[in-house]
Amino acid sequence: MAICSAHTTTSLHSPCTTTVSNSGFRQKHVIFFTSSNRRSGGGRRHGGTRTFHVSCSVDKPVVIGLAADSGCGKSTFMRRLTSVFGGAAEPPKGGNPDSNTLISDTTTVICLDDYHSLDRTGRKEKGVTALDPRANNFDLMYEQVKAIKEGQAVEKPIYNHVTGLLDPPELITPPKIFVIEGLHPMFDERVRDLLDFSIYLDISDEVKFAWKIQRDMAERGHSLESIKASIEARKPDFDAYIDPQKQYADAVIEVLPTQLIPDDNEGKVLRVKLIMKEGVKHFNPVYLFDEGSSITWVPCGRKLTCSYPGIKFAYGPDTYFGNEVSVLEMDGQFDRLDELIYVESHLSNLSTKFYGEVTQQMLKHADFPGSNNGTGLFQTMIGLKIRDLYEQIVAERAGVPAEAAKV
Amino acid sequence: MASTVASLSTPATFAAADVLPRRKAGGRVWFPLAARRCGGGFAVRSTGPATPPGISDKVSESIKKAEETCAEENVSGECAAAWDEVEELSAAASHARDKLKEDGDALENYCKDNAGTDECRTYDN
Repeated sequence: MAICSAHTTTSLHSPCTTTVSNSGFRQKHVIFFTSSNRRSGGGRRHGGTRTFHVSCSVDKPVVIGLAADSGCGKSTFMRRLTSVFGGAAEPPKGGNPDSNTLISDTTTVICLDDYHSLDRTGRKEKGVTALDPRANNFDLMYEQVKAIKEGQAVEKPIYNHVTGLLDPPELITPPKIFVIEGLHPMFDERVRDLLDFSIYLDISDEVKFAWKIQRDMAERGHSLESIKASIEARKPDFDAYIDPQKQYADAVIEVLPTQLIPDDNEGKVLRVKLIMKEGVKHFNPVYLFDEGSSITWVPCGRKLTCSYPGIKFAYGPDTYFGNEVSVLEMDGQFDRLDELIYVESHLSNLSTKFYGEVTQQMLKHADFPGSNNGTGLFQTMIGLKIRDLYEQIVAERAGVPAEAAKV
Repeated sequence: MASTVASLSTPATFAAADVLPRRKAGGRVWFPLAARRCGGGFAVRSTGPATPPGISDKVSESIKKAEETCAEENVSGECAAAWDEVEELSAAASHARDKLKEDGDALENYCKDNAGTDECRTYDN
């Protein structure tokens, strides 16, 4: 019964209309959206024409963009996000073992490196980095993200990070939630306009250096000098093409060295800021104690004992690239479960489904990097916010056509 | 982090730390990997599996090439492109290690259900 052929409507809010071919003649039908918790009911007669029940939420994904430099925690974030929706994200079964795609029940995550127009040799010849827009095919990126958003499958190229070559393409079918992660999800205006929500991971230079030392020092051939040289050589392009995207993000996670330990530059204790844009549809920022006030909070004291260097929170309104934002900040790290629960119980607007869900998610992935600090906490919170946004959009889609049908 | 636990009967291909992180008794829940990253007291190798040799060679070659390229002319796009290749391969190496680690975790999952078997026994020093 469910016929939902290729859609051409781009607006999330318009009724889902489609053209159905039926024995040689074409006829336009209004399709009723259904959400997962829809009351069951058989096909109804409506004004003498047949109506279809189709789960269009499956066909028209919610699209999320995640921007960050290489080696700055995008994959960890993606694992936390897919976990919030339940189920683990796996590479496509039976496909290219070097595919960069991750698929779970609800979510497909693609890596935008797959849209490199120049392979490794090509970039070397032309003397451009992967950060440079000239090394990327934004036309194809736009066409394919748009097609997925409209419910059409695409044959997406695969950039092989080991060989540096473009491998034969893989088929990507529209999921419920489609995440594009990489260096440039918000660079091209056309792609940016397709995003229902966008996140930028902003890692300060000090922390980036510390993280790359952690990642690469054991690797043969690497040294402090090589790690530093690589960061410095890429920095001009990073500053020119990647960093400016943060002004467009709905949420920015900023990772900085701690202020709790004077002159700390080890990058082990972190100060993390969650910058949440105000007035974004379907996104209500998290707050601490009193929405819109400015608050500094040290939870460690008589009720809660914390180990050195302790935990400090801050919350308040601010402006970011001319936009009204709410900023939540955590400095320090959790050492024990009760600290995390205590903090969660004092935050509001978390979009959890039950008390303690943030803590539960953090514990579930205690082995992921950042599970004891603000990076893990804020990534989990953003994951819950994306789930909430998705549910609101699905409910809205289900509601609008029903309204239209009443008229 | 006082007690150092080592799995003695682990196959040599797994770093003991990958098999290890277990919840400690006594009501305190630790964040094992995070603790390990912060220089916890594990006596055994704690960096996880080694990078597959193919990628490892590419990383070290790319570093050599980048150093050469930049020695000649360090403001050129070629220098940046060469170091960008180092970054790309280093990230690929890191992903490859993560993948190996996930396979190692398969043993840990097995041990959750089969704690009494020889290969899952842990010892307190």
